[in-house]
Amino acid sequence: MATFLPQFQSIKSSFAHIVLSVEDVSDLWPTIKKGFEERLPFKRASLNNKTRNPVLVDELPAEFILTTDARLRSRFPQEQSLFWFREPYATIVLVTCEDLDEFKNILKPRLKLIVQNDDREWFIVYVSKAPAHNDQATKMAKKVFAKLEVDFSSKKRERCCKLDIHGPDPNFWDDLEGKIMECIRNTLDRRILFYEEEIRKLSEQRFMPVWNFCNFFILKESLAFMFEVAHLHEDALREYDELELCYLETVNMAGKQRDFGGMEKGDDQATLLDSGKKALAQIVQDDSFREFEFRQYLFSCQAKLLFKLKRPFEVASRGYSFIISFSGALALHESMLPFCMREVWVITACLALIGATASNYEDGLAAPDVEKEFYRVQGELHTLCHTKFMRLGHLVGYGSDIERSPVNSASLSMLPWPKPAVWPPLPPDASSEVLAKEKMILQESPRLKHFGIQRKPLPLEPSVLLREANRRRASLSAGNMSDLFDGRPRSGDGSGTPSAVQRVSNVSMSRTLSSPGNFDGSIDRPMRLAEIFVAAEHALRNTISDAELWKSLSSVEEFEKKYLDLSKGAANNYHRSWWKRHGVVLDGEIAAVHHKHENYDLAANLYEKVCALYAGEGWENLLAEVLPNLAECQKILSDQAGYLSSCVKLLSLDKGLFLPKERQAFQSEVVRLAHSEMEHPVPLDVSSLITFSSNQGPPLELCDGDPGTLTVALWSGFPDDITLESLSVMLTATNSNDEGAKAIKSSEAIVLMPGRNNITVSLPPQKPGSYVLGALTGQIGQLRFRSHSFSKGGPADTDDFMSFEKPTRPVLKVARPRSLVDLAAAVSSALLMNETQWVGIIVKPINYSLKGAVLHIDTGPGLSIAEKHEIEIEKHEFGANNTDHSDNPPDNHSPVSADVKQLSLEDGKINLPDWTSNITSVLWIPLKAISHGLAEGTPAGTVSQRQSIVDGLRTIALRLDFGVSHNQTFEKTVAVHFTDPFYVTTRVADKCSDGTLLLQVILQSQVKASLTVSDAWLDLQDGFAHTGKGDGRPVSKFFPLIVSSKSRAGILFSICVVDTPAKDGEELDPISVLNIRYTISGDRNLGAHSPVTKELTGPENETDPLTFRSALVLQRPVLDPCFAVGFLPLPSNGLRVGQLVTMKWRVERLKDSGKDVDSDDVDEVLYEVNVNSENWMVAGRKRGYTSLSTKQGSIIVISILCLPLVAGYVRPPQLGLPDVDKANISCNPPGPHLVCVLPPAFSSSYCVPAA
Amino acid sequence: MIVCVAVVGHQNNPLYIQSFTKGDDSLLRISILNVEGCSYHSLKRHHIVHCSLDVVDERVNNPKKSGLIINETFLGLLNPTENYKVYGYLTNTKVKFILVTTDLEVRDVDARVFFGRFHTAYVDAVSNPFHIPGKKITSRKFAERVSTIVKSFGLSSGG
Repeated sequence: MATFLPQFQSIKSSFAHIVLSVEDVSDLWPTIKKGFEERLPFKRASLNNKTRNPVLVDELPAEFILTTDARLRSRFPQEQSLFWFREPYATIVLVTCEDLDEFKNILKPRLKLIVQNDDREWFIVYVSKAPAHNDQATKMAKKVFAKLEVDFSSKKRERCCKLDIHGPDPNFWDDLEGKIMECIRNTLDRRILFYEEEIRKLSEQRFMPVWNFCNFFILKESLAFMFEVAHLHEDALREYDELELCYLETVNMAGKQRDFGGMEKGDDQATLLDSGKKALAQIVQDDSFREFEFRQYLFSCQAKLLFKLKRPFEVASRGYSFIISFSGALALHESMLPFCMREVWVITACLALIGATASNYEDGLAAPDVEKEFYRVQGELHTLCHTKFMRLGHLVGYGSDIERSPVNSASLSMLPWPKPAVWPPLPPDASSEVLAKEKMILQESPRLKHFGIQRKPLPLEPSVLLREANRRRASLSAGNMSDLFDGRPRSGDGSGTPSAVQRVSNVSMSRTLSSPGNFDGSIDRPMRLAEIFVAAEHALRNTISDAELWKSLSSVEEFEKKYLDLSKGAANNYHRSWWKRHGVVLDGEIAAVHHKHENYDLAANLYEKVCALYAGEGWENLLAEVLPNLAECQKILSDQAGYLSSCVKLLSLDKGLFLPKERQAFQSEVVRLAHSEMEHPVPLDVSSLITFSSNQGPPLELCDGDPGTLTVALWSGFPDDITLESLSVMLTATNSNDEGAKAIKSSEAIVLMPGRNNITVSLPPQKPGSYVLGALTGQIGQLRFRSHSFSKGGPADTDDFMSFEKPTRPVLKVARPRSLVDLAAAVSSALLMNETQWVGIIVKPINYSLKGAVLHIDTGPGLSIAEKHEIEIEKHEFGANNTDHSDNPPDNHSPVSADVKQLSLEDGKINLPDWTSNITSVLWIPLKAISHGLAEGTPAGTVSQRQSIVDGLRTIALRLDFGVSHNQTFEKTVAVHFTDPFYVTTRVADKCSDGTLLLQVILQSQVKASLTVSDAWLDLQDGFAHTGKGDGRPVSKFFPLIVSSKSRAGILFSICVVDTPAKDGEELDPISVLNIRYTISGDRNLGAHSPVTKELTGPENETDPLTFRSALVLQRPVLDPCFAVGFLPLPSNGLRVGQLVTMKWRVERLKDSGKDVDSDDVDEVLYEVNVNSENWMVAGRKRGYTSLSTKQGSIIVISILCLPLVAGYVRPPQLGLPDVDKANISCNPPGPHLVCVLPPAFSSSYCVPAA
Repeated sequence: MIVCVAVVGHQNNPLYIQSFTKGDDSLLRISILNVEGCSYHSLKRHHIVHCSLDVVDERVNNPKKSGLIINETFLGLLNPTENYKVYGYLTNTKVKFILVTTDLEVRDVDARVFFGRFHTAYVDAVSNPFHIPGKKITSRKFAERVSTIVKSFGLSSGG
């Protein structure tokens, strides 16, 4: 059956549609052909697929062929069954008849003859030629058609339809199409059954010796082809898939040694998409086909169907798998195939597949994920092609032009060298080429990386090519029979006998060794690398038939061009797929080419992408490979910002990735740039390089307003010391968001050593709160850098640890404002006025050191510091203050005085000694309160004429400057109470009948100390005199009189009233003065004490007595009053602003006027109304005379009309009598001090009364 | 032969990469920090492992398409190329284990057994209180254990 192959091929190529045969009985076809063919192709055909399920075919092309056509004639019966698929799928019988007799006698028998063949699907189209207006003819036609239907249609099947030429029924065409479709469907079903049966029969014989794959193939492909013609592409594809499976089983069946194929000229070009490249008959081998061609043929058929099904993505993915598996098959037969056949085939296959799928693919054709998958496969195809292409380039000596990157190394170094049976030998006349290659090799210089980085280049070879080639050449690979066989003849004469060549070519080397002159006798000497390149180049020239591909390998430039194209293709496709990493990595390859060709701009852009990818995921080893290249590009492009950042990144990579020398080079670049004049200084992020944290332990705690010193640990990632011109630490408050971070600047340049450094920065006073370290900023040269790395909490040995999860620890806590110190008066009781007294100030630190504190003392008016005396300071003991032994002068003054230190006052300031910095101490300041007035004694019983406390109050303004840098200030004004020792009251104890008055002077002690009165005398005012001897002293035996604290003492003086002669021009002495000499015995810790003198050493009782003087006013008995002025009550309805009111006073003469009485007994009395004109308006005379009888008891009433001007409590007008001495006027009843004035009544100007 | 095993963190950062190249008899371990050794031998493995993450991502992001079963940690063959195979394994915490082998015939069950052991070793290594999560695994013990697992690859199931 294999002999039918050529015929089968030709049928397939000529047969493209379903054929419908037309049996034109009555020569009607030319008339109606047009109408019939207009229906083609059939729309929406419904067919059954292999599993008998209906399938809707959108468009089914077909062709009408007359049965008399040559194409349907002269076929042998065997051919007919074998190639049944090409037989007509329906027979349309065209008849016309206008006469029943003619029908019965002629047409019917003829028709019966035509339709008797059951194999055919047929139906009859009766064509009526009767014109529409000719009823007779129309009737006849109907009759004939009815007869026709009776004879040929059955209940099961309608086989007749009628076409009116002169007025076709619109339903006719649908009817016709339906009938045609029915026929096609039936025919197809029947043929499918037939082929299936045949195939089944053959399949059963598969493991028998008679099995012939070719027969199976013809049947199977016929079926597939039939499906394809019927546009049942899915079914066709399934048949091809089954065919492929079956073939692979056949091929892999052991025992049969078959020819693989691929030895012919042009076989290196993949035909996986071109089924017609080679005739099937050419690849038949015994009962099967050669694998090389046939598998490609099958794939091409599948691809064709998939393209028809609009599934180019499936072609791509199937194609990729096919190429991989086919490449494996090629590898198995590599020793027999031409040199590098496998690589060349893969390249051409990939390129063909890429081209075909890309041109058939439209964006949006498939679902997004399918689309991504498609681009991924495209990328894979490009990559595969790229790899193989690099391998070929490497073999012909372009290895030095291939970037030794990890990606190329991964793909090439794990890909074995080609394994030809014998390595191609050097052609005889190739010495000039060898020389050229050698020159090329010599010119190769390993490209030095930037920063002087030297690395052993990554391998592109799986093993050393020199060794591999020579080994294969020397036929030392044991076990390879063909190698051993090859070796022998060449070792003989070196040129190879014809028989040897013959035998060799029989085995395998039909193409590679086709020129017998290749054996040049160089077997004694191993081939040099250049020779290997030249030999490979020559061998490849024989292998490669594709001029385009060969051109790409012909020169370095072309090679690079193709290399770049493939890289770009792969990268672009990967970018559109899920596999972004693959794409970016390939971008790196493209960048390397640009870099080499000094397209630094393009290179830098691509390198940046690669670096971002590696850096983003922390692949430092890979990053370290690319980053120096990026840096170099940036440097050349004068992208200083980028270059700096690259250098910093390089420095922050793992230390093990670069040699110390290289890292130093990075640093020197950073420093060089930092100190150069940069056009656009850039801020630099060194977060990865300089990290920082607070020191271990609790955070620094400061009081509000205090400066401090913050220690920060810095880790420098620089390999050498680096000088930071300035450094600032940002402190961020954790509790408030409104305030931004505050920069704390270190004042001086800092040299950072590699590793950990402790930096101290002085901290100005901060607001209360808790602070964390924010960011670090500073300058290296002109360069501002910034580091916002997270704080490291770990110990020093985990330097590289940078935890992202650990919360930042507060580094500083500033307490809320609180009182840090208190100043208070040590003594609350009064001190002696006009004497120098110790005023104690308690200085009490509250958990705060007062080291270096300075106290400013500013005494208020009436108070002065006795500067002759030193100021004392002592430790304060609370117990000393509590003792309340005011009566007894305390002897325990001394225990604290042991610690008393003398201090001196300078410009109102005292420096507190350091020993007092943490303890409460008392500062004793000698102060003297001055009061110029004499103390006034008061008559006993009078209301509160007692000396006001305020008079004795003096204030001391204190200011304490303290704190670490005197930043804290505490100000307080301390009130100190001074007083006279005694409060003196007097009373007349008794009026004796002889005019002697016993004046009792009562002394009330006002101090918390014991007073000892040693002497007292009274200097009397004019008008009084002492009775008796007259020195004014009481009996002296009562002295010393001790007056203890809070107690009273009394002294009696005997005086009398004397008339004092009036002395012209001399003022009478108006007051008497009581003089008391006393001493005081008190404790300064309690209150008043003996005044500070220069010599404090002497005992207290030896001190000079003090003198206290108090003024006493003794009044002679006064005259009786003459007038009484009484204020008469005001109207009860109250006073109101704006309302006139009459004020009335009653003036009464209490006794007769002493003047000479006039006849009319009337005296003129001057009166005056004193009034505040802002509050009152007085209508009438304020001042005037009024008449009053001189008799006792005479009364007048003075009325004044007044108008209050303001509301509120105001002083009312007062009536005075200017001519009468105040002493002679008694106010009875007294007028009010204040009266209440109501606000004016509401204005009713605009209100009309209701009535 | 296994040429490389790797642990990749949940942020796709390398945690551990160990390359194996054939020495005389023993497996030669190359420290990932060694400059020369790294660039010469393992950089390409870094590349292979890194690029295989694309496949892991794809599988994880398209579980339906890749037919990934929920809770299945073994990802299977990631990247069949002509010369080596990459297998993947994904833990619940999105830590990936990658295996690169030049054996072209690897049974899935062998790979599963290998990853199971490798996972156990990894869990033990990161359970060390001195290990910082997310950082490279520097434990020598882990390296030794991995070497043992690699040596026994394919042996357990009779392969």
